[in-house]
Amino acid sequence: MDTKETELLDKIKSKFKVDGRIQRERRIWILTDENKLMEMCNWLKECGFIHLSAISVTDWLEDGKYELTYHLWSYDDKILITVKTKIDREKPTISSVTPIWKESAQIHERELHELFGVKFEGNSDLSPLFLEDWEGAPPFRKDFDWREYVREKFYDKENEREKVYYD
Amino acid sequence: MVKRSEKAKTMRKLIKAIWIFNWFNSCGFAELVPLVGSRWDMERFGMIIVGTPRHADVLFIAGYQTLKSIKRAKRVYEQMAEPRVVIALGSCTMTGGMYWDSYNTIKRLEDYLPVNLYIPGCPPRPEAVFEACEKIFEHVKELK
Repeated sequence: MDTKETELLDKIKSKFKVDGRIQRERRIWILTDENKLMEMCNWLKECGFIHLSAISVTDWLEDGKYELTYHLWSYDDKILITVKTKIDREKPTISSVTPIWKESAQIHERELHELFGVKFEGNSDLSPLFLEDWEGAPPFRKDFDWREYVREKFYDKENEREKVYYD
Repeated sequence: MVKRSEKAKTMRKLIKAIWIFNWFNSCGFAELVPLVGSRWDMERFGMIIVGTPRHADVLFIAGYQTLKSIKRAKRVYEQMAEPRVVIALGSCTMTGGMYWDSYNTIKRLEDYLPVNLYIPGCPPRPEAVFEACEKIFEHVKELK
């Protein structure tokens, strides 16, 4: 069956030599390398994927990787493309997609920089969004023990009222 | 009936209404909306919500306070004219509540602001809020 989805996926596969599959109707997953990402994003935007609905990070602690997920929507084709790419967890650096999707990418990248410590090269404003005066590790990393951090920072073991938090 | 002292009675005559500035995070506002509505109608006691802390006598704080929002709450408090009262509503405000192990919420409000009254509850009943405001009249002479 030659649908819109298969047509598009074949085009992407042959052009960028990446892995991908059709998840279900109107949903495409693409797994790509970090270095092909920018080129692909540029191309996808020209194909009509003008809406970047979200960027998210998954922390794969055992593999030592962060997985970045870009959700792209096309108003013409009514297709949601999910572009996934893995980067090193210890030095999480990736080029920013702000030149492509401008403001809608900006705020997501700023948040991810704050919560996971991912450095988006080319994003001009990565200042803290919610965590002002934050000193600890990026809080959404899986190896960040937030409960320990809270006990350390906020509670007093000697305080009668707060003793229960140490049980 | 609450028994009032003579002093409190005099003050009660002088002070008719308390004006409130709300500093509400998360569910705080939604849970206290009944106070404004016709069923409990706080305006019959002269309690109204003002648009600026400079007009307010009482600061209502509700909902969890984050490290970022408490700074703004302090700024709001500083702008209020004396005598001023701070009332903390609900468990999240007082102790962090269900966010007791969150890295981003404050756990002791009294470390940041001089709180006059705590109203526990999740959320507190409107009657409890009225009682707290009644207590303000009782103690108004002691306030700076």
